Amino acid sequence: MNDVIELIRRGKTLLFYILLALVFSLGVFAQSNGLIAEFRDGYEDWIYLLRQNVIIVFSSGITASLLGIASGILMTRTWFKRYAEVFSQGFNILSAVPTLAILAIIMTLTGIGFKSAFIGLVTVTILPVLRNTYQGIREVPDHMIEAARGQGMTERQVLWKVQFPNAMYVISAGIRTGFALNVGTSPLITLIAADSLGEYIFTGIQLNEFNSLLIGSVSVAALAIVTDFVLSKLQYWLLPKGVNPQRFAHD
Amino acid sequence: MIRLENLTKHFEVPGKEPVIAANNISMEVGKGEICIFLGPSGCGKTTALKMINKLIPKTSGKIYLAGKDTDELDPITLRREIGYVIQQIGLFPNMTIEGNICVVPDLLKMDRKKSREKARVLMEMVNLDPDIFLKRYPRELSGGQQQRIGVIRALAADPPVMLMDEPFGAIDPINREVIQDEFLKMNAELGKTVLFVSHDIDEAVKMGDKIAIFREGVLEQCDTPDEILANPANHFVKNFVGADRALKRLKLIKVTAAIMPFRMVVKADDPLNHVAAKMRERDAHIAVVVGPRGRARGYITKAEARDDASGLVGDYLDPIPGTIHEDDNLHDAVSQMYTHASDWLPVVDDDGAYKGYITQHTVASLLGEVPRKKGETIS
Repeated sequence: MNDVIELIRRGKTLLFYILLALVFSLGVFAQSNGLIAEFRDGYEDWIYLLRQNVIIVFSSGITASLLGIASGILMTRTWFKRYAEVFSQGFNILSAVPTLAILAIIMTLTGIGFKSAFIGLVTVTILPVLRNTYQGIREVPDHMIEAARGQGMTERQVLWKVQFPNAMYVISAGIRTGFALNVGTSPLITLIAADSLGEYIFTGIQLNEFNSLLIGSVSVAALAIVTDFVLSKLQYWLLPKGVNPQRFAHD
Repeated sequence: MIRLENLTKHFEVPGKEPVIAANNISMEVGKGEICIFLGPSGCGKTTALKMINKLIPKTSGKIYLAGKDTDELDPITLRREIGYVIQQIGLFPNMTIEGNICVVPDLLKMDRKKSREKARVLMEMVNLDPDIFLKRYPRELSGGQQQRIGVIRALAADPPVMLMDEPFGAIDPINREVIQDEFLKMNAELGKTVLFVSHDIDEAVKMGDKIAIFREGVLEQCDTPDEILANPANHFVKNFVGADRALKRLKLIKVTAAIMPFRMVVKADDPLNHVAAKMRERDAHIAVVVGPRGRARGYITKAEARDDASGLVGDYLDPIPGTIHEDDNLHDAVSQMYTHASDWLPVVDDDGAYKGYITQHTVASLLGEVPRKKGETIS
């Protein structure tokens, strides 16, 4: 047994050295390719594009989350129930449409630039949020709702004190998925003349410039990872303890 | 306290005859009484219960709560005045135990500090330590603990009436006994009027001041448990309460009801021939020997106490076959008799002082006379 532990411990150290070597050789590679020099020269552009990208991702993401939660809640209301299936089918079809096609359609309606890009990203992000809100609220067990009504809660109190808090974890999972889609789609908005890190990627493709391509894709990947990390931390700290499976184990 | 008049419920089934879940139910439950709605599943007992707090709208009939027609109350106000406990417990996982208990007081905008204090008092009544549990979440509690919280949540706003829909049905048998006892003890103190749905005749006999037996939406019989066990109104009720209904009645009757006033009490240092004369005079078969503080020490039989015998009672003492407390029920007493293979048992009070005795014969004749009211004794 001790041997195994020892082996794992050594393995870990070994892995660390391999990683270090990898980073070092990547650095050497980047230096020899002129990647670092190019990045340094275009540093201000990079900052600008990154900021634009972050702005549009978060503004569209937050808007989409709010809209998605609101319409998801709407779909669970009794008077809306008969249309709810139609709506969710409609949204399912919408989510099957390729993102690029969505952007193209919106461009024909509202022209090019930030506005169209914003609408496009909202459309992409809203679907998982809405679906999870609808499902999350519907999956709150009937007996819990019966208990809430039996205690004398109004329909509105049942929603805000019982259904919504208990659906929060599922909703937050929908928001994380939505943001992941959003960040993944954001480079495409360069195509309808909105500023994003996609500029590096598409320039790289068109001019066959490997370094530019690399800067763009690595930046977008890093942005995706950081966004998800931030959201997971928010999810951990903002959701009430009683409905947060991530925190059950820590008690 | 609660009066149902011709309460009826038809469930519409598309393309078929409507299902009659409650058919002209009329009954009355007095203040502080526990009334059990009993019957097989699908008999309409839960429907009848849920019509009272309007979770199921009634088709026709009237429900009066403390003399008020509930048609004139809006459902929200009505439900806040009625405690409600369900089998699935239905605690809200997003709230702490404290939040769960104080749901109704908070809905009613009662003073937060007072309701929190009340929550602590209620938790102590069900033997849960408030310091440990108040800040926990429902998922951190066991099923039995959760249902205790479910019960005290219904009590938090001090409603005069409680509706309980098979509240202890999902709890394991050992815990169920404990929680039933706790509830009975608690309600003896609080004096709530309780309507309680159950499908378990033993639970009904144990918990109820009254039992209402339902079949297919019809109220078959509504009476005290003893009356229902002794005089089932019809075949259905008779079958439902079971062939051992006489044995079930044993649990309802206290030892005091069957106690024989003692005819002979003697001391260990009485001379035997003296005692023999007294026993013959009073026609007693046994004489119980008591100690200086009135405790039963043993007994002597008629055969041992002969006139020609010399010596003291103490020399011939037979050990007593165990004792039974006067507040215990006959079920325990008979069980003890069988355990000790005896046909009689001395009865004692809290201090262990001898009060009299019961015999299998008195128990049998007590059950034979139908029906007897609580508190009546054989003389």
